[in-house]
Amino acid sequence: MKAITTIIILFCTTFLFSQSTISGKVVDQKGKPISGANVFIEGSYDGATTNESGSFSFTTDAIGNQILVVSFLIYETSKTQIDVANFQAQTVKLKDSMNALDAVVISAGTMESGEKARVSVLKPLDIVTTAGSAGNIIAALQTLPGTQSVGEDGRLFVRGGEANETQTFVDGIRVAQPYGATTNNLPTRGRFSPFLFSGIAFSTGGYSAEYGEALSSVLLLNTEDNPDQNKTDISLMTVGLGLGNTQKWKKSSLSVNASYINLVPYQAAVPQNVDWNSPFQSLSGETVYRYNFNNGILKLYAAFDSSKFDINQENINSAEKMRVNLKNDNFYFNTSYKGNFGTNWQIITGMSYGYSKNKIGLDLNNIANDENAAHLKLKLKKNISNYFKLSFGGDYFSTKFDESFTENLGTAKRNGYNSNIAAAYAEGDILFSKKFAAKIGLRASNNDLLDETTISPRISMAYKVAKNSQFSLAYGDFTQSPNADYIKYSKYHQFESEKASHYILNFQYAKDDQTFRAEAYYKDYSNLVKYDTQEIAYNSIFNNQGSAYVKGMDLFWRDGKSIKNLEYWISYSYIDTERDYKNYPTTVTPSFVADHSLSVVTKYFITDWRSQIGFTNSFSSGRPYNNPNETQFMNGKAKAYNSLSFNWAYLIRQQKILYFSVSNVLGTQNIFGYDYANSPDSSGFYKRKEITPTADRFFFVGFFWTISKDKKDNQLKNL
Amino acid sequence: MTKLITAFAFFVITLLSAQGQVATSETKASKFEQGMGKAFALWGEGKNTEASDLFERIAAAETTNWLPNYYVALVNTTAAFGTKDKEKINALLSKAQNVLDVEMMKDQNNAELYVLQAMINTAWIVFDPMIYGQKLSGPTIEIYNKALTIDPNNPRAVFSKAEFEIGGAKFWGQDTKPMCAQIDKAIELFATFKPETPFSPKWGLDRALIAQKNCK
Repeated sequence: MKAITTIIILFCTTFLFSQSTISGKVVDQKGKPISGANVFIEGSYDGATTNESGSFSFTTDAIGNQILVVSFLIYETSKTQIDVANFQAQTVKLKDSMNALDAVVISAGTMESGEKARVSVLKPLDIVTTAGSAGNIIAALQTLPGTQSVGEDGRLFVRGGEANETQTFVDGIRVAQPYGATTNNLPTRGRFSPFLFSGIAFSTGGYSAEYGEALSSVLLLNTEDNPDQNKTDISLMTVGLGLGNTQKWKKSSLSVNASYINLVPYQAAVPQNVDWNSPFQSLSGETVYRYNFNNGILKLYAAFDSSKFDINQENINSAEKMRVNLKNDNFYFNTSYKGNFGTNWQIITGMSYGYSKNKIGLDLNNIANDENAAHLKLKLKKNISNYFKLSFGGDYFSTKFDESFTENLGTAKRNGYNSNIAAAYAEGDILFSKKFAAKIGLRASNNDLLDETTISPRISMAYKVAKNSQFSLAYGDFTQSPNADYIKYSKYHQFESEKASHYILNFQYAKDDQTFRAEAYYKDYSNLVKYDTQEIAYNSIFNNQGSAYVKGMDLFWRDGKSIKNLEYWISYSYIDTERDYKNYPTTVTPSFVADHSLSVVTKYFITDWRSQIGFTNSFSSGRPYNNPNETQFMNGKAKAYNSLSFNWAYLIRQQKILYFSVSNVLGTQNIFGYDYANSPDSSGFYKRKEITPTADRFFFVGFFWTISKDKKDNQLKNL
Repeated sequence: MTKLITAFAFFVITLLSAQGQVATSETKASKFEQGMGKAFALWGEGKNTEASDLFERIAAAETTNWLPNYYVALVNTTAAFGTKDKEKINALLSKAQNVLDVEMMKDQNNAELYVLQAMINTAWIVFDPMIYGQKLSGPTIEIYNKALTIDPNNPRAVFSKAEFEIGGAKFWGQDTKPMCAQIDKAIELFATFKPETPFSPKWGLDRALIAQKNCK
């Protein structure tokens, strides 16, 4: 019946009214014609696609006042009421859609990886497939500009800052203890398995007001929202075993990873530069649970890590080697919720708890410490319009640290602190046009232990000069509480926060699979802690009068396009810095800084061999060291460092991978620096010892096997 | 694999333009039939944007019919297979994904929609196997499985899944016999397949025949 009426009406209208012609032109805000726009009368089929000069013309049976819709993917859809009888040769202007992919994004300081990243500096798989990284997120990041490779430490050193100046966040929530425990001159690694994270953003400065308590850098790791499928992963490695399982349900999923690392067999087979009583062993596990609500996602992440080793370290201060026996237990739990509510509101909230317990035996002395750290976070974001977004929120960091030091037969000396930091921030994202964006924020933080309140402004902006090129500028003030080595003596001295200001100018070109970044920066440190003794001790006289400057330039080029199957990137960093902190008598370049660093990473895929072969070469110029035999402080310079690593991944089947890697293939005898004796020998000479890598080369062979349902389907499909 | 899939765009188009002509030649064509017929004709002439736009206009007016949006997605997905430019591929596949999402929201039990979703994924994989192969291969198989659970005898689901798997199997040097058997089965299903309406999806036989030849 309905159909019949419609047809009748249709016939009548055609009969009674002649068709009207609608015509005109569609242009953008600058008046340039837009071709391919869909122009039509709402609710009818009548319409046309604009031609190359932006013109359209069509006839319609509709009468009277109608809605004329003009839509095109990258513009905001326009809807205008028109009188069909009277709409000829009109011009319709479309506004840029600010959600469009090509709108400018501030890129100063930040390098991103992952699917959501507009310009991916690292791809998720890079972490595993970069030669020399051995699945360590931190090692892969060290091939990016702005980082210093400090081989005897293993942590991230960013732009002349100490390792503890970088804060790590998982799903926006802080990780208080991101590294495994270690001792002097034995490199550590990141605790996180790269397989659970789908996106990484690494900022080497000028970051958002959302992040605090970091002087130099933030590392943001985001766990996967939705794992691909149910699967079991098995890894057999020369250094241990790994097992992972992912289960997916309608609205939720659970991933569990466990690994056992034992370096005993490996170190028995490959000669080592160090004397192990019991090589490194660790048992660790991670789990992520995700639940999808209609408007949000809840994630629970937990990681457990227990490790130990026992080593005899040569010590320049004594004839005997010093025995270091370390046991570390670490637990980290994090829960976060991200969701939308109301009109254009977003909420991100969560909390984390980290517990780390160390037991360190240094010959006959014992140190035991434990840290309890919690972080509570709330962030609200409102899209007020396509041109303005407001976000604000708060953080609460609570840390309790206790340490007891028991000398041979003495009684335990206890030190520790209890710190609570409450912070609030607000930030506005303004898009003036598709080419010009700014972010302005302010962070206020109160630290009860230091009894101080700090205010830190952050400003950044970006301007697109051409389709694929843009400039960004960033300025920010950053504060961070001094590290535990100092503030555990808070009962003897009232410390203040350390401070830094960053000024960054960035240029970025990104097209298809080519990215070029150049960044110049200046950093100004103040309020750094100084002390007057050889080692930090309760009776040191502390002050906050240290300072430093850092200026430098970072270059990055990534190309996956020029040569088929070859992906490579080159990072170069130049840094000029002098620092007056710790017990330095003067302002000098600190020993962890190399003036020039260059990394070249290549990955070549050989289809016929089903293999990916990669080389990574890391070079850095010699780092300073202090030679007490000379009058001038920190006057020595170690020789340059070079390491070439190789890896080969062979895909046996979709789900079986054989992986082989060697670090420092050439066996370069690298020297990071020197340890000098605390006191001179009888002839008045300070003896020294080289600081070298724990082994000249590191070999790794692993077999990775994924068992998933679709594999089974392959075999059973012939039912 | 890439070549096979690129060829695909062509076959779908030839088949569909025929479909369009059939529809327009009917004398008492309704407004919907006329509109759809015209869109198919445009598509047949290679005017992808115009065809997609017209399907989109029909979709805007006929909110209860899933077919116009289905074809918006299909036109844009097939166009993406023939493109190398990242921005264009992104624009085409985003458009396809947007309209497919609209229909998926309305009906989660339509095997054809799942097949199309799998094709959008395949277009991404073909575009950059290194990134999307890893990410989307597993889910794509799952999507085909879902389509086959809903409609085990849908020839497009049977065939497309087999073709998708052949690409991987060839690379890994695995036996393609089981997939070829599925293609034979799909061809039989095509023979008995009856589209529900004149405009319901019925593409795929030509390509299946080619794939069958490649099997031998």
